[in-house]
Amino acid sequence: MTEEEQPKRVFAPDFLTELFRNPLDPGYADAAARKAVEGAPAGLRRWTTRGASTITLLVLGFLFVVAYQQTIADEPASTKARAALLQQVQSRRDQTTQLQQQADKLGDDVAKLRERELGGAAVAQLRDMEAATGLAPVKGDGARIKLGDGPTPINPVTGERNVVARVKDTDLQLATNALWSLGAEAITINGQRLTATSTIRQAGEAILVDFQPVTTPYEVIAIGPDDMAKDFRDGYAGKFFKELAAKYGMSFAASDVRGVTLPAATELKLRVAEPIPSPSAEASTSSSSSGSVSSSRSVSSSPSEGGR
Amino acid sequence: MIAVLALAAGVVLGIVFHPTVPAGLQPYLPIAVIAALDAVSGGVRAKLDGIFDDKQFVVSFISNVLVAALIVYLGDQLGVGGQLSTGVVVVLGVRIFGNVAAIRRHLFRA
Repeated sequence: MTEEEQPKRVFAPDFLTELFRNPLDPGYADAAARKAVEGAPAGLRRWTTRGASTITLLVLGFLFVVAYQQTIADEPASTKARAALLQQVQSRRDQTTQLQQQADKLGDDVAKLRERELGGAAVAQLRDMEAATGLAPVKGDGARIKLGDGPTPINPVTGERNVVARVKDTDLQLATNALWSLGAEAITINGQRLTATSTIRQAGEAILVDFQPVTTPYEVIAIGPDDMAKDFRDGYAGKFFKELAAKYGMSFAASDVRGVTLPAATELKLRVAEPIPSPSAEASTSSSSSGSVSSSRSVSSSPSEGGR
Repeated sequence: MIAVLALAAGVVLGIVFHPTVPAGLQPYLPIAVIAALDAVSGGVRAKLDGIFDDKQFVVSFISNVLVAALIVYLGDQLGVGGQLSTGVVVVLGVRIFGNVAAIRRHLFRA
C-alpha cells in the first residue's frame, strides 16, 4: 500500500500483492486527493475532460461491438468452408453416380450391338473372356471367406490402440492368392471384383482394393471348384488364419456358397494393349488379355457363366 | 447517464458502420477489449467510490490499450507468441475481477 502520510510518492514494492489488494488504479485516489486540495476544476477544463471521457466511452462501445462482430464473423468461417467442401463432395459424388449409370447403360448398349453383329460362337468366346478378366458379372458356386478384425484394446497407460489383431492388406492378399491357386476364376472382396491388375494395399488404417476403401468384416467370395472352401481351410492360408483367430481373436470362416453373382470390375484400364480399329482385332486383343489372366484356366469348362 | 448514452451511441455506431478490422490489427483486438473492460470497471468503481475523475479515466483507458498492444507486438517480435499476452490477460483480469467485486460490494452491500 502507498503510505498516504508521506509527501514523497512511494511505489508499492510488490506489484502482485498490490494488484490483488487494491485493483483500482491508484490514479483515482491521487486525483481525488488533488481535488480535495485544489478544488474541482471548473469552466473550460472541466468540459474538455468530460468531453474526452464521453468520447472515450463512445470508442469503448464501438470497440466492444467491433470485437463482438469480429468474433462472430471468425467463428463460422471455418464451418462455412467445411460446409462448402461437403457440398462439393456430395455434388461430385452424385455426378460420379450419374456418369457411372450412363457408362453402364452405354456398356449394355455396346454389348447388345456386339451380340447382334457378331453372333454365335464369337459372342460366347468374348463372354468367357470377359468373365475371366473380370469385365463381366459372373454367377456360380464357390467359397466364401470371412475375415474380421479382432479386438483392438486401448492401452490404458499410453493411450495407444493395439492394432495387432487388425486384418492387414497382406492377409487379404494371402487369401486371394490362395483362392487363385485353388482354381478360383472370379473373386470379389466386399463386392469389389478383382482383375488381373487389381491392387490390395494398406493406406493408413484403411485397406484399399483398387483404390476403393473396404472395411471389416471382409468378405472374400470366389467362384471356383466345389471343394475350394475345404481346400482353403486345409491349406496354408486356412491354417494361418486359424492361427491368427486363435491367437488374436480375429474372426475367420470359410464356407461353400451356391449360385452367387459377382459384379463386374468397375473399370479395367488397359496399360499396354490398345484397341485396334479394324473389326478383325479380336485375335490380338485376346492374346494380350489372356497373358494377364495367366492364373485362370480355360473358362469354358468352368461353372461360371458370363453375360449381362 | 451521459456515460451510458455515450456507450450506447458507440454500440449503435459499431452496428451501423459494421467496420471490418484489418488483418494486421486482429491479434490486438481481444487484448484491447480486455484493456477497455479494465478501464470501464475501474471507472464504474471509482464513480461508486465517489472519486471518479474524467482525466484519469481517459488516460488510463488509452494507456492500458497502448501498453497491452505494445506487449502483444513485443511478444510477436520476440517469438514468444501469445505468452506475453497471457500476462496482460492475467493482470487485467485480476484487476477487472477485483473492481467488479468492489462494485458488487457497493451495489449489494455484500
